Amino acid sequence: MSELTLLLLRFGFLLVLWAFVFSVVYALRSDLFGQRVRRQPVEAAPAPFVASAVAQPTAPVAFAAPAPSQDTATEAFTVAAHSSTATRLVITSGPREGLELQLSKEPLTIGRSNESGLVIRDDYTSTHHARLMLWSDDWVIQDLDSTNGTFLGGSRVTLPTPVPLNTPVRIGTTSFELRR
Amino acid sequence: MQSRSSGEAPASIGQPIDAGARATFTNTIRLRLRAPAKLRNLELFLVLFACIIVGGSIALVQLGALGTIDPTVLIIGTSLGVLAIAMHVVLRFVASEADPFILPVITVLNGLGIAEIYRLDISRKVSGWESSGIRQIAWTAMAMLIAIAVILLIRNHRVLQRYRYVAMFVGIALLLLPMLPVIGETVNGARLWIRIGSFSFQPGELAKIALAIFFAGYLVTARDSLSLVGRKFLWMRFPRARDLGPILIIWLAAMIVLIFQRDLGTALLYFGLFLVMIYVATGRASWVVLGLTLFVGGALVASQVLGYVGGRFHAWLDAFNPTVYQAQGGSYQLVQGIFGLAHGGLIGTGWGLGRPNIVPLAESDYIIASLGEELGLAGLFAILALYLLFVSRGFRIGFAGQDDFGRLLGVGLSFVIALQVFIVLGGVTRVIPLTGLTTPFLAAGGSSLVANWIIAALLLRLSDSVRNQPRLVVE
Repeated sequence: MSELTLLLLRFGFLLVLWAFVFSVVYALRSDLFGQRVRRQPVEAAPAPFVASAVAQPTAPVAFAAPAPSQDTATEAFTVAAHSSTATRLVITSGPREGLELQLSKEPLTIGRSNESGLVIRDDYTSTHHARLMLWSDDWVIQDLDSTNGTFLGGSRVTLPTPVPLNTPVRIGTTSFELRR
Repeated sequence: MQSRSSGEAPASIGQPIDAGARATFTNTIRLRLRAPAKLRNLELFLVLFACIIVGGSIALVQLGALGTIDPTVLIIGTSLGVLAIAMHVVLRFVASEADPFILPVITVLNGLGIAEIYRLDISRKVSGWESSGIRQIAWTAMAMLIAIAVILLIRNHRVLQRYRYVAMFVGIALLLLPMLPVIGETVNGARLWIRIGSFSFQPGELAKIALAIFFAGYLVTARDSLSLVGRKFLWMRFPRARDLGPILIIWLAAMIVLIFQRDLGTALLYFGLFLVMIYVATGRASWVVLGLTLFVGGALVASQVLGYVGGRFHAWLDAFNPTVYQAQGGSYQLVQGIFGLAHGGLIGTGWGLGRPNIVPLAESDYIIASLGEELGLAGLFAILALYLLFVSRGFRIGFAGQDDFGRLLGVGLSFVIALQVFIVLGGVTRVIPLTGLTTPFLAAGGSSLVANWIIAALLLRLSDSVRNQPRLVVE
């Protein structure tokens, strides 16, 4: 075995090793740069604000006009939510309007990532956007530092906030409600 | 990779939904994930790639060190490739949504370790069961079989939460086992091994899994009291004195390991694991500050009182001093390792062409220096990149987890690998004092291999349950 062959083999081995590393990195590029956005046909994606306005009348009267400050809103929601626990998540506006998801006792993650329980792929949703958790019979929504925010009854969620029944939660162009 | 809800007709995609279609949508749809084989196909491709790399490295070792290719070792090595593919097939059936990168990455790491250990055997002219290369291959086969068994037996990681206190006792028992009089064994000053007949084992390696399970289970229940109350001091909220119990107990255990088992690395590993898990669970930086203060204080006192810790510090700070270099238990190994790395340079001497066998314990504690000499900086960085990928996948699994126990367990298990790599590499490259820990997946040693493959199996199981949940896709 000549020196030159060994030198070439040495370089070749390092190149193959790095090719392996980069093939793994290439395969998980969606983790590094976020999930690819699929363009939706224009007519299939309704305007978010119109849609949430349509959804609003289905909400109980108490929540039709969101309270001005976050704290009082949270307080009002907490009182109302104790009556019963939601078992379904219904999408009230957005491209998949009308779809339902059965809620279990486990937390539900929402985001553009494939690992999320509710995958919402649009321009406004972050990879890991929000989380719904069951805290002693109350479903609580927590915003995971999303770019465009999570809106509960029209106000932006900053702290983990209980989600009362029939109140729209808006993430990107999709709104959903929790129902019994 | 996305799943489509079962109520969706392909023809309706991208078209405006009319009233009739909407009525079918409104029906409650039980969403079940159609298992896409895409992840597993990617894994198969990467595993085959990994086997080619490992086979190539063993062949290059033979070309470099012997000048010819000896097929017997390659055939033995092929059996490991078959086992890796067997594990892949098992994943296809019982954990089809598991992370596709973990298995190929650890296959490459383990194979590079075997190649380097085999290379050291050639330079020592040992063969058969005498050689650590053959033993390493046998241990790898056993570790892979145990990992397959873990994947088959633990179908849901939440089962482990039930056994958190059992895990605590098992972990402490494993840590203390080497201190028993008959079976305990002292090697190079550290009392970390047990020996029964000709079979020796390092139980502390398995203890890190048991302790990670216990910490995760315990912190899920206790984190509210650990995070919500406390007094604000400077810019951090410090816990109440009565909540300091757990951290003091873990600190005491770490100090016991440091004093009686005479091993700085193991103490640092377990204490660091606890600190990170309590930080992740509570989100309070004050725990890290408190814990690091306690540990650094303890280690400084130990370095003054205990001879061996002081010796390690001295050899670290003043490594190139000739008297330290020549002293018994001085910096000879450390300096030879650094010389080896320098000899390797940017692209290394090539497989089988360096002289890594000069360094004592080149196949276990100093495998990184051996690999760094023969593969150079470029190869060492590739190895570090593989560790980075492994640990980042683990953190990812923890981050995306549904239940808090799984999240903490994923973070804890992957962090323990990261910390171990840091302690070993930092020791070899003189960033921190040298301590005797094994490099995960690379170093010779059965207990370490078994423990790390079990960690990989648990991460695979966690990642499968993360992705395999009922879900809805809106796009």
